[in-house]
Amino acid sequence: MAVDTKERPSAPQQTDASAEQEGRFQSYRIRTGMFAWMMHRLTGVGLVVYLIVHIWGLTALTDPETFNALIAKYHSPIFKVGEFALLVAVAYHAMNGLRLVLIDFLGWSPKQKKLFWTLGGVTAVIIAVGGWPSIYALGEWLLGPGSMPTLFL
Amino acid sequence: MAEMQLNIEIKRYNPEDDDGPHWESYEVPADPLDSALSLLLHVKWHIDGTLSLRKSCAHGICGSDAMQINGENKLACSVLVQDLVDGDGDTITYAPLPSAPVVKDLIIDQSRFFEKYREVKPWLITDGPAPEREREQSPEEHAMIEDATKCIMCGACTHACPSTWADPDYLGPAAMLKAYRYTFDSRDDGAEERLDVVDSPDGLWKCYTIFNCNEACPKDIDITRWLSALKRRAATSQASTKA
Repeated sequence: MAVDTKERPSAPQQTDASAEQEGRFQSYRIRTGMFAWMMHRLTGVGLVVYLIVHIWGLTALTDPETFNALIAKYHSPIFKVGEFALLVAVAYHAMNGLRLVLIDFLGWSPKQKKLFWTLGGVTAVIIAVGGWPSIYALGEWLLGPGSMPTLFL
Repeated sequence: MAEMQLNIEIKRYNPEDDDGPHWESYEVPADPLDSALSLLLHVKWHIDGTLSLRKSCAHGICGSDAMQINGENKLACSVLVQDLVDGDGDTITYAPLPSAPVVKDLIIDQSRFFEKYREVKPWLITDGPAPEREREQSPEEHAMIEDATKCIMCGACTHACPSTWADPDYLGPAAMLKAYRYTFDSRDDGAEERLDVVDSPDGLWKCYTIFNCNEACPKDIDITRWLSALKRRAATSQASTKA
């Protein structure tokens, strides 16, 4: 008997279980590239949130009293922590952004892991040097005045 | 005698009987040089014949047995036990490729994957009549696309990509690699047609250079590199046509 091969069996009905298999979040092994991307997304979203708060803070510019009160708040330890986190986010996002530019524009895809670690080193130096004033201020607050070495300050 | 006993965990799912996928464990004898596929076949042939999986050549050519092994997409026949475990009593996990509808157990419905493949027009497009003899290409011209021609369409890359997970309509690395392979083929004249397809919101610009495709590719194709080249071509040709 001839078999009609033109007729394909119908695709299986979409079920809840296959829907569970699909979705934005999958359990998958994280390697260098995906780690770099996740951090890039995280710092990117963080910077957007920061920018909104920062611009909102500028509304205080219209009144000298409110402005002084706001600036006084910025000297509190919690803002020193925030300042440091901001530097980390900016430094990472900028350096990984450079990595992506080199990959996409110059075709440096084969060097992507080396690039990640090299630029990661540069990021660490930027954070250490640029973040020192924040660390210094926090140390002074936590351990008492004069307890921190006055390197470069 | 096999050198070790391994614990095999397989994500099983039969849509006709099960409410959802579940994990099942099996004890399997293994040698370091066994392929990951051979352990599955041991389960199917000696322990539980209802286990369903796709495989054909078992030698990394047909591309049938891509699946998620130990949390990463791999071609089951092309990965060795010694590269997955440290020794006796260790566990290997097997799951179907992520973010695709499951037909049964380790078999996914590939229709969406192949629809995307057809979208990029993966065939030679030429102006003018066919030549009398074959279309020639110099070794230098072929070198441009050689890496990309190694693709066996197993789907490990596309289903490893977070952009695919988030957007089921994203063309994905496999289809766009194919677009690269023809766009940069010296004998092909269909670049503009294909760029129209890949230079789109569901195309090239959702490639965030995450490199999961490169890590997953059983043929070690530098997929991201070729997609970057395609991005540059799309960006420059857009500038030249729309200026």
